[in-house]
Amino acid sequence: MNLYNGPWTSAEAAHLLRRATYGASFPQIQLAVNGGMHACVAQLLNITPINEPLAYDPGEQIVAFGQSWVNAVYPADVTANQQTEAARRKSLGAWLMQNINQEQLNLTQKMQFFWQNHFGVTSSGDARAMYQFLNLLHQNALGNVKNLVKEVATDPCMLVFLNGSTNTVFSPNENFSRELLELFSIGKGPQVAAGDYTNYTEQDVAEGAKIFTGFIVQGVRSSTQSQVTSQFMPQLHDSSTKVLSYHFGNQTLSANGAQEHLDYIDLIFAQPETAKYICRKLYRYFVNYDISTWVETNIIAAMAQILVNNNYEIAPVLEALFKSEHFYDTSVRGAIIKSPFEAVFSMLNSTGSVVNFDLQTSSQMYLTMYTLADQMGQEYAAPPSVAGWTAYYQAPAFTKLWINSTYLKKRFDVALLMTTNGLTLNNQNFSLNFLGLLNGLSAPAAAPTVIQDLCTVFCPKVIDPADQLYLKSLLTGGLPDFEWTLQYNEYLADPTNPTFYNPVILRVKAVLNTLFRMPQFHVC
Amino acid sequence: MKRRAFLKNGALASISLPFVQNGFSMQAIAKELFSVPKSAEDKVLVLIRMNGGNDGLNMVFPRDQYAELVVQRANMLVPENSILPLTNTVGLHPKMTGMQTLFNEGKLSIIQNVGYPEPNRSHFRSMDIWTTGSLDINQTSGWLGRYFESTYPNFPDAYPNVDYPDPFAISMGSEVSATCQGLVGNFSHALSDPFSSSSLPLTPVVNDGTYYGSQIEYISTLINQTNEYGQQINSAAVAGNSLSNLYDPQNPLAVQLKYVAQMISGGLKTKVYILNVNGFDTHDAQVDALDFKEGVHANLLQRISDAVRAFQHDLQLLGLEQRVAGLTFSEFGRQIASNGSMGTDHGDAAPLILFGSCISSGIIGTNPQIPNQINSQAGIPMEIDFRDVYASLLKDWFEVDPNQIQGLFEQNISYLDLLQGCTNSITQQETFSAQKALVFPNPSLSKHQLRFNSAGAHYEIFLVDQQGKVMAKVLDSFVQAGVFNQSFEVSLLPQGSYYYLLKSAAHQELVAFQKI
Repeated sequence: MNLYNGPWTSAEAAHLLRRATYGASFPQIQLAVNGGMHACVAQLLNITPINEPLAYDPGEQIVAFGQSWVNAVYPADVTANQQTEAARRKSLGAWLMQNINQEQLNLTQKMQFFWQNHFGVTSSGDARAMYQFLNLLHQNALGNVKNLVKEVATDPCMLVFLNGSTNTVFSPNENFSRELLELFSIGKGPQVAAGDYTNYTEQDVAEGAKIFTGFIVQGVRSSTQSQVTSQFMPQLHDSSTKVLSYHFGNQTLSANGAQEHLDYIDLIFAQPETAKYICRKLYRYFVNYDISTWVETNIIAAMAQILVNNNYEIAPVLEALFKSEHFYDTSVRGAIIKSPFEAVFSMLNSTGSVVNFDLQTSSQMYLTMYTLADQMGQEYAAPPSVAGWTAYYQAPAFTKLWINSTYLKKRFDVALLMTTNGLTLNNQNFSLNFLGLLNGLSAPAAAPTVIQDLCTVFCPKVIDPADQLYLKSLLTGGLPDFEWTLQYNEYLADPTNPTFYNPVILRVKAVLNTLFRMPQFHVC
Repeated sequence: MKRRAFLKNGALASISLPFVQNGFSMQAIAKELFSVPKSAEDKVLVLIRMNGGNDGLNMVFPRDQYAELVVQRANMLVPENSILPLTNTVGLHPKMTGMQTLFNEGKLSIIQNVGYPEPNRSHFRSMDIWTTGSLDINQTSGWLGRYFESTYPNFPDAYPNVDYPDPFAISMGSEVSATCQGLVGNFSHALSDPFSSSSLPLTPVVNDGTYYGSQIEYISTLINQTNEYGQQINSAAVAGNSLSNLYDPQNPLAVQLKYVAQMISGGLKTKVYILNVNGFDTHDAQVDALDFKEGVHANLLQRISDAVRAFQHDLQLLGLEQRVAGLTFSEFGRQIASNGSMGTDHGDAAPLILFGSCISSGIIGTNPQIPNQINSQAGIPMEIDFRDVYASLLKDWFEVDPNQIQGLFEQNISYLDLLQGCTNSITQQETFSAQKALVFPNPSLSKHQLRFNSAGAHYEIFLVDQQGKVMAKVLDSFVQAGVFNQSFEVSLLPQGSYYYLLKSAAHQELVAFQKI
């Protein structure tokens, strides 16, 4: 991939930040412009540590309000046990949204969700196990994909989700073995003969099932175990010699107990197609849904080579991608329709708006956002299937699948909510930081510049002059531009006086109310 | 849409030729070729997707082979005496009393062992195959999407319009259906609640021909469609009615089917409704360990059976029975033998259920053969190709011309007699006649083939547009007797309706196609 050496202006910086994060503010974009591309990409390649989710819902009956529950047992009583699980799930959902809203300007959150989509895991029935799984994705978000697949293979959540925990020598269960090949590693190619999917065969699925036999899960919603764990049981493992298909050179895997599946995953990753499969998914997630022959030859192959050369470390691949000429090509800008998280959190994060009330109120507001995103087709802890969300794989529509009549209404409802009354719970009101947004722009007193800057933040391409004029008329209330300048300067002179700041907020709200419902806002 | 240059060769200027062919003007023939027969205009098809891979052997039982089933699935098999008999050799799951009633009323049919050659056991690939109606990995449009596209061109840009104010298909829930995917838009409108309507603001956008342009244009089109279709749906739902008291409000499928009945009775002209039931991927705990008649799968079957029974009852009371037919489908059946977790792994063919007062009730096909020993990973082999089921529905239910249908599918269609009783529209088996010319695929995107039976003569073949203008002469030579088959590149042709005019001394024929 050629290194990008074109202009580095707010258009390029905003493009990179829109793709790599859930939303940068105007000042953050300016910092990225001033620091240059290399510094910006270096900053993106960091992982922010995150705090554990905290108990806030009265259903929780073990740990105290405000304490972490991730290493706490469950009540023995069945009803109390269920109530506690429900409370912990709420806490987990709120925590996921909080992490996105409070992300640092790096790839942590986008990549954690990339892996959540990649493995498609839905909760195992124990919120602690789901937390452990999500934490595994977080820790490895920019790490080594081969190691991550190995870890995931015996993760309790995955073992329950794809029936690994009941996969034994006495009754092999193919579920995980199939999805490992088809979705998590090498990917399924066209069916070239009966049971032969180009990269593997039904024989590999069946033999793989045997390889993964013997792992059990202990402690689900246990009143004595503080964590859900997986354990290898030699007597449940199929210790026969496994014979793979010709796609793997008819290799045999001799019995190697608890390490045997690691040998198998090494073999899968030794196939060149595996790196390509992972890189195609990264490309679709970060660049464009359409993988043309040119992209396959010039971009995917190069990314895959970097992945292999770096022993399956993800960071070098993304570093090269985000510095590549292709990534900044105007043809791929705005090619992605925003996911519900991208749509909702670009409203919050790009305006520097963070939910910050008492724990219970904040959590309930974040849980509301979790539910709203679910109604738009994206429930974080419950992908629609093990293949993840259709928008990332279903040809030919791809991200167009985020938009249909039902989802669209909900998106617009959220946009209206955020630009009118905001979210009110427990007598607390969460509104976007309209004044902060405005004051961070390059020339808040100049109406045309305000509109230009807002479009830099929220729209991937310059919008039509007529649309810009219309948005400006919303800012000025149809009056000449200088009236806005007067209004803004009055507010600046007396910034705590509602007589002056309220009219300013009202005008900014009016602009965003329309902008957030324009098609140009919903692409990135 | 972006303007595209017409054909690479600029020399192929159009020649005005307002000629009359066999006494009909080209316009009249064009109308004839693409119009929907009056009797089929108000027909409705309901599709119920059983998502996850339905265990056909725990739904339709080969009663004559119960002993073999015991060998295969002793850890989960429902007791023999609880199976609901349909015939001497076929029975239903004990929870499916609603569908047993429909069968006894002559309103339900079982199509046995439906699948496709070289089964694929991936959920996603197999569901793609079922929704596209094609084994071709490159086929991305849905089988209904292709039908709609070939009949109602220029979607989504040209719709809704005065002639077609209603959505062609409605997908109940929050996602559109892959069966209705066209090359540009999806013909199905996602709908959660027909009684809720609100208008979305619309900002006109310009498609600059880039990915970005196509995305914002798509969103803009969807905003417009959502508003216009939403109003139509809302008025129909409000005007409509539902008379049956059999719907269980706790059963989500029943609630959705009730909405469908209300929309149909309110006059909505939507042709296809798609409903989805999740949860069929029963790798473990498919049945209740204490009572094999109960459990996850039993509950799913009961939900579908009860809901369809209530829906059919409602249609009867509303006097709409003759307008509606329904079909269930799933991406695959499951393996013959159960696994050790009281569940079943991905398999191959499975039965489909067809319902309605006009369908030819009974059992289509034969019971699957259950071996008396366990063969590892064995599924039920295919007997009936699912694409033939689709094609037969298009022919008998929507009365689509068999040549148009053949253009939608890659295999040589063998039609099944699926519909009888109420209209008895077509009884004899019609297949593609080699005498008639055929364009495949149709609609065409880049390349297609023209096929016709030559008597052995000098042929001229013209490409003609909708106005009767000859755009190009694509062949002018002697064609040997037999099947003529040639590929044409049409990627640069602007989208629209076209014809090939075949002319020899003794043979003149027009064959229509859509360029998309």
